[in-house]
Amino acid sequence: MVKVLWTLLLLAAMVAAISWSDRPLPRADFTIINRGDVATMDLSIMSWRNDFRVARLVYEGLTVHDVFSEGYTPLPGVAERWDVSPDGRTYTFHLRPEARWSNGDPVRASDFVYSWRRSMLPDLGGDYAQQFTLIRGVASFQRWRLDALREFAASPRDATRPERAQELWNQTLERFDQTVALRTPDDRTLIVELVRPTAYFLDLTGFPVFSPLYPPAVEAARSIDRETGMVRYDPGWTKPPRLVTNGAFVLSVWRFKRDMRFEKNPYYWNKGAIAIDSINAPSVADPNAEVMAFETGAVDWVSDVTVPYRPEIIARRDAFYREHAPEVGAMRAEGLDDVEIDRRLPPDPRKNIHVFPSFGCYFYNFNCMERLRDGRANPFADPRVRRAFAMAVDKETIARDIRRSGEHAIDCFIPPGTIGAYRSPEGLHHDPEMARTLLAQAGYPGGKGLPTIEILFNKDGGHELIAQNVAKGWERELGVSVRLEMKETKTFREDLKNANYMVSRASWFGDYGDPTTFLDINRAANGNNDRKYHSEKFERLMGLADEEPDPRQRLDLLAQAEQVLVEEDLPLLPLFQYSEIYLFDSHRFTGISPHPRQEQDLSLIDVYGDGKGTDQPRTMHHGRGGSR
Amino acid sequence: MTRLVVRRLLQLPLILGVIYTLTLALAWGVPGNPLDNPEGRRPPPEVQEAMLARYRLDSFWSFYASYLEGISGVRWVRDEWNGTHERRRAEALSLGQPDIPAPIFDLGPSLQYRDRTVNEIIGASLPVSVTLGAVAITVALVLGLVAGIAGALRPGSWLDIATLGVAIAGISLPTFVVGVGLLLVFGVWLRLTPVGLWDPPRSIVLPAITLSVPYAAYIARLTRLSMLEALGADYIRTARAKGLPERSVVLRHALKNAFLPVLSYLGPAAAMAMTGSFVVEVVFNVPGLGQHFVNAVQNKDLFLAIGVVMAFSTMVVIFNLGVDLLYRWVDPRIA
Repeated sequence: MVKVLWTLLLLAAMVAAISWSDRPLPRADFTIINRGDVATMDLSIMSWRNDFRVARLVYEGLTVHDVFSEGYTPLPGVAERWDVSPDGRTYTFHLRPEARWSNGDPVRASDFVYSWRRSMLPDLGGDYAQQFTLIRGVASFQRWRLDALREFAASPRDATRPERAQELWNQTLERFDQTVALRTPDDRTLIVELVRPTAYFLDLTGFPVFSPLYPPAVEAARSIDRETGMVRYDPGWTKPPRLVTNGAFVLSVWRFKRDMRFEKNPYYWNKGAIAIDSINAPSVADPNAEVMAFETGAVDWVSDVTVPYRPEIIARRDAFYREHAPEVGAMRAEGLDDVEIDRRLPPDPRKNIHVFPSFGCYFYNFNCMERLRDGRANPFADPRVRRAFAMAVDKETIARDIRRSGEHAIDCFIPPGTIGAYRSPEGLHHDPEMARTLLAQAGYPGGKGLPTIEILFNKDGGHELIAQNVAKGWERELGVSVRLEMKETKTFREDLKNANYMVSRASWFGDYGDPTTFLDINRAANGNNDRKYHSEKFERLMGLADEEPDPRQRLDLLAQAEQVLVEEDLPLLPLFQYSEIYLFDSHRFTGISPHPRQEQDLSLIDVYGDGKGTDQPRTMHHGRGGSR
Repeated sequence: MTRLVVRRLLQLPLILGVIYTLTLALAWGVPGNPLDNPEGRRPPPEVQEAMLARYRLDSFWSFYASYLEGISGVRWVRDEWNGTHERRRAEALSLGQPDIPAPIFDLGPSLQYRDRTVNEIIGASLPVSVTLGAVAITVALVLGLVAGIAGALRPGSWLDIATLGVAIAGISLPTFVVGVGLLLVFGVWLRLTPVGLWDPPRSIVLPAITLSVPYAAYIARLTRLSMLEALGADYIRTARAKGLPERSVVLRHALKNAFLPVLSYLGPAAAMAMTGSFVVEVVFNVPGLGQHFVNAVQNKDLFLAIGVVMAFSTMVVIFNLGVDLLYRWVDPRIA
């Protein structure tokens, strides 16, 4: 009996220990579910949108995107103002004296140089290291570093290796200072020289990868790998209490697979404009649990609704909107944005789901190589065949009947309306008749002579239904036979990289407000050119746009380049524009932007009636409620 | 006794070494680049190569040796010896930053959770899984023994048939059905437990019950069978003939013998339950270890995959040792 008691006591102690260490955070002013988990708080290696969302909250760049303006106008962030040289190549940023790190230290111009240097190093393998090649000298610095590392790796493994590794690092720092065109005449001035005039550079400086890191915290985590000579960073610095940041909020708690908590940064230069004091982000893995947590009132905003019954929730919302069609129509005519319209309608739980067009495109790749990986002849090497297959797909049906999530079929590659003044070309519409003619011209009348077409896609995410529909269309309209090939995501990615496929599913999300964020992946030398597409005409137009100083004409050149993609060559077949699907009650708070770039600046959140902030709805119409 | 413990503990590294080699060989064969981000961008090929070298993922043997050096503590001893740790401490202090101490047994970085080491991940999730598993096993033991004994006392009665039926259902019903069912009733309809949010101790109850169901069912069947056998034995007839009360005959005499098969099942069962279950963790949003078994392999997060297998293997060895020790205590003849 005593033994049983002891066992029970031990058990109770274990439960108590877990309950104590995992006790829930105090309720915050605002609670979000940020789809899965944040992978990293290290700006240099970030690449997920949920990570960037949090990064915008705790870090601040030289500029900040105005997410409520049509063109995502760059607003002053750490830089209070900037000058651009007449040739558009040199940017001088003047940092505001009151910009502070979360420990009270001033943010210095050299902090930006430190962070940018780290982010561009090939040692970290950051997905966005290439973005820095806009700065003069970066490309050659990166090449030099890679060569030096290769040389070091091949050098003899003797006792002097650790010292030589250190020596190589010192040389790298020197090399950086000599080659990369970043200068800091004083603590408050940063001069950046670009390789060419870049219309979107101020947009880019608002992208989190260009925000600063706190050098002492990062340096303390650095070591040099004696085997490869690369710098390494112990990930300890990215978590509280070591993490030091300069944004509106600080990350005060980060418990693995449990939650994150953000508190208002007491040293933030514009803390007066922040209308909430704390944000919780519990970690929820299951899509059903996300919805239930919202419905039970435990969270205020779910950033990505992926439950299988999503179309039904959206249908209920559409029914509500139909009931209020006259008011909605009138408000649309007035030019109000979707969130504001929603707020002016009577409260109803049915309308808590929100569908916003986003900055991403779902498309199919065509392999453009002469021969497939296994040596077979590739019918898709012929642009006429690609055009024919593109025109035989009924995208409307896919968007409406399969996705059922309020998304729009598109014929262009860059999602419409996402980039200020840019207008995409028309693209090719659904036209089975024309498709058959083209196929016959290419030498395959009625699909005769074509091998079985293979569509490759990854498991999960509903790609199979879409592939089935595309296949049906091709079989019906073009008389070809189609085989579907489903693979695990890792294997799928490997096949894409090696161009080991005929047709494959793909998607792309833009990063910054310029068409190149989409178009670049079709350039022959781009690491993400999975289609192995190479076109002289497209390369020439992209090259001309690179050199064009006039912004208007540059966008025209880029539109011509997109036209080559979506009307002539079709290395890819755009299917639909992705939507962001959120759960929130527009009567409870403001600050979510309907802008299709869908970045969301959570520091703009203002909960109505909590006694904090102005409770003024933020709308696209009036720009930012209250300036930062 | 001491010799047994010492011998088993000496065997542990050997066993782990073999398991490590096998696991790595299998995990290495999983197709795909471990550093590839499933949706994101791809750095230029030279950078991808450099990154593989940085994690020693460029060749099987260099990874094998380097990981072994970390996990065995050899690297820690060497760095302690040649002053690397001391130097880093001093550097951190000179920058005004607290030092980040290196772990003795270094399981490496996670490739998927870029800001976490595998040591951290296991440290954060194993205690949750162990507690949940311990509660589940206790519940399973109590339910299973009671049901098993009750059935064995009146074989063929409605009680026996009912417990057997429930046991068969418990073994065959998948965890996600039981789990979602419980969540629907107690979480959504009755609102007794939080849904989707980890809030212990309240949120331990449902996952522990879900987790215990198959174990309870199995224990019930084991107990019933061996109790039936024991109750028919000569020494029970003797005990009854002596005029011992029935309670004492059943619990003290029959159960003591009948418990042995249950005990040998408990070792691996406890290790299984305490290293987490993927399904239970997903359904109830438990931050345990089980999910990493599946995710780490799918994402080809080699460090994490090997780390969780090592943790699991260590637990199996230790629990089996515990069961062997308990055997000696229950039945001195075994020693």
